[in-house]
Amino acid sequence: MAEISFPLPDLGEGLLEATVLEWLVKVGDQVERNQPFVEVETTKSSVELPSPIAGIVLTLHGKPGDVVLVDRPLITFAVADDSAGIVGTVPQEAAPKRRVRLSVVLDED
Amino acid sequence: MRTDLASTLHWQQHEPALDAGRAPVLLVHGFASSTALNWEATGWVQGLNNAGRRVLTIDLPGHGESHAPLETDAYAPSRLRAAVLEVLALAGARTRETGNPASGVDLVGYSLGSRLVWELVAERPDLFNRAVLGGMSGEDPLADFDLDAADRFLADFRAIAHESTASLMTLMQLAPGANTPALLRLVAAIKAERFEPGASVPVRPLLFVTGDRDVLATGTAELAALAADSEVLWLPARTHTNAVSSRAFKQAAIEFLAR
Repeated sequence: MAEISFPLPDLGEGLLEATVLEWLVKVGDQVERNQPFVEVETTKSSVELPSPIAGIVLTLHGKPGDVVLVDRPLITFAVADDSAGIVGTVPQEAAPKRRVRLSVVLDED
Repeated sequence: MRTDLASTLHWQQHEPALDAGRAPVLLVHGFASSTALNWEATGWVQGLNNAGRRVLTIDLPGHGESHAPLETDAYAPSRLRAAVLEVLALAGARTRETGNPASGVDLVGYSLGSRLVWELVAERPDLFNRAVLGGMSGEDPLADFDLDAADRFLADFRAIAHESTASLMTLMQLAPGANTPALLRLVAAIKAERFEPGASVPVRPLLFVTGDRDVLATGTAELAALAADSEVLWLPARTHTNAVSSRAFKQAAIEFLAR
């Protein structure tokens, strides 16, 4: 397994930051590509962000209400080694021990 | 028959991968918003599609990818409703039949879109099954908009004294890609056709959803009391802007429209 972090993308029109409204996944969840994983708000609108890859959630960088900066890490996934390498990865010695569900319960609040 | 207005409106069908065999869901966006901002970036189209629902979206005149007519009349709420009904006819919508869950049309509106949804459901109980009304106001804040103050602001940045006019102007200036002159024509048309919720009241089931910090959507409780068959969901700590993408909102709407 390898780790891949994704930064908060540029949400357009010169915005530099966004506020986390709600995480739609939690650590240990298996996330599919294009599955929405977080809801964030800018000064102009609120949006859901889809996951660019499939993987297991390792770290959520911020709590609801926290401000996240564009290009700073937003979420870190553990992914299979053959799908890593596109963005740059950190090798990981051991596979995660946590058992993961194959589907995600979306109504966590 | 197609009018000029309906033929210049941008509308789309979004098909689910697995069709649940239910009526299509038409989404009507809010003032200074668009299909892309109100329903796509917020996860509504994907969420409804994932629930097996066929989704129809429409950009109102002067919004999103639709044309922005120069004449104020083209923005009259009655013309907007007529255009919505034409789009539904083009999309093959058919009137409700008892026992056939694929018949009729379901609606979701937000803000100004909810006003149009209220009026559409009241006018056409034979067509619409159920409707979700998000961020809806009983006294349309656009009807009290100070157009002269807005013109002075645009001419020389003179401050706008009227509070809701100032906040709506900020909303217009912030909205990505907003066409401010077209939005002001829409405001003028709304002033000429103010929302009168009591004039015609929907009889079909309604779900109202409003953020409990939404200062623009006043009167949700009164509207719900006026309607024949209604439920209300308050979204904790949500405002007019950030209630739209709420997962609780979407889940409640999907569940309500599946009944």
